[in-house]
Amino acid sequence: MKRHAPWLLWAWLAAVIVAAFYYAPTAQGFSGYDQPPGGDAGHASRILFFHVPMAWVSFLAFVAAGVWSLRYLAGRRDPRQDRAALAAVELGLVFGVLATVTGALWARFMWGAYWNWDPRQTSVLIALLFYAAYLALRAAVEDRATGARLAAAYAVLGLVVAPFLFFVLPRLGFTLHPDAVINTRGKVEVESRMLQVLVASAAGFTALFFWMHSLRRRLLDLAARREEESI
Amino acid sequence: MRSTWIAEAAAVFAKDWRCELRAKHAIATLGLFAVTSLIVASLALGPVGIDTAERVAFAPVLIWLILLFATAAGLPRAFVHEEETHTATALRLSASPSALFAGKAAYSFSVLAAVEAVVAPLAAALLQIDVARPGLLAGALALGGFGLAVASTLLAAIVAQGRGRTTLFAALAFPVLVPLLALAVALTRAALGAEVAAGILAQLVLYDATVTVAGLMLFPAVWNP
Repeated sequence: MKRHAPWLLWAWLAAVIVAAFYYAPTAQGFSGYDQPPGGDAGHASRILFFHVPMAWVSFLAFVAAGVWSLRYLAGRRDPRQDRAALAAVELGLVFGVLATVTGALWARFMWGAYWNWDPRQTSVLIALLFYAAYLALRAAVEDRATGARLAAAYAVLGLVVAPFLFFVLPRLGFTLHPDAVINTRGKVEVESRMLQVLVASAAGFTALFFWMHSLRRRLLDLAARREEESI
Repeated sequence: MRSTWIAEAAAVFAKDWRCELRAKHAIATLGLFAVTSLIVASLALGPVGIDTAERVAFAPVLIWLILLFATAAGLPRAFVHEEETHTATALRLSASPSALFAGKAAYSFSVLAAVEAVVAPLAAALLQIDVARPGLLAGALALGGFGLAVASTLLAAIVAQGRGRTTLFAALAFPVLVPLLALAVALTRAALGAEVAAGILAQLVLYDATVTVAGLMLFPAVWNP
């Protein structure tokens, strides 16, 4: 079963891509900035089936990195947990950049500019800078154990500051982003076929993250073992 | 005799001030940097003659930018100096990590407060702003300065153990300090006469409390090898 899991994942993601283009309808009630309001967003709206899951996976990766770092610091300083956190940060950055780029494309279509200094965009940008700084910190410390300890402390600090970035900062300005899918009115306001594809895509991307994470972590484990053997 | 936590923190605070008064490093660089940059900015803007509303919107940004750069320029020294003079080990033996953190943070806060005491009135005078709510301005400077001092103390301890310390400090500090600076700017702007946005004071207090607790809990892991 384990040997076939990646193939199942590929098949699932392929199905999501096909469904995003041929099963889900285009978004209604949205329209581009240069079009009459309340129209059909057209094929451009299909980018959301990939933008939202990638943003979600990036968020998941950063939280997971924080939790692994916390366990590293609170536990017996197991280097494997540190490497798991590092792998999660790397993947979180990849998915975060992809989410930002797809979001910018959608923003260009909807609001007329790639970058609007929308609070959500700003928060994500700062989060990406934070984790880029995490990698810079690791690179700046020569001793592996010291680097792991300092980076873990920094990642945990990120975990506690993040709520301010995502919940306080956006309230200082206005946002162009819609309410969460399940909003204060307690109603899901997405067409049901779109929602099905969105949920299937989010599930697929989550599985993709865990698969890529296990690959990267194993690579880091191997590199660490080779380093130990060469000393 | 075992020294108490408060006594240890106070001793660290007193030691840092004694070193500072001997070398006058922070006073010379931070004070001069703050005053110079403020004068340059005011001079560049003065003849342009921007109106009062624009000055009220702009002055808080200028004040907090100066405080941020003053922090980045001077405060990482708190720990870098200990590593360079090889006194870090002695410090590890003589004070518990949380007391050391409290002492260092208190020292950083007192330095920043001194810089603020010069920069804020000078900015108001040079940019010709009548401070609408002086009490709120003092509160904004105190809360913002406290958060800046505590967060930068933890980051300075991290940076002191790496290479390329000044640039690394800027890279690490910026994302952590953005929420603090945004809140402090908004509160300062309210103190200078802009409309007060609800909840900002509470959020700033919450940020300070969060970084203080996180600092006290994370510092032992950062400090002890």
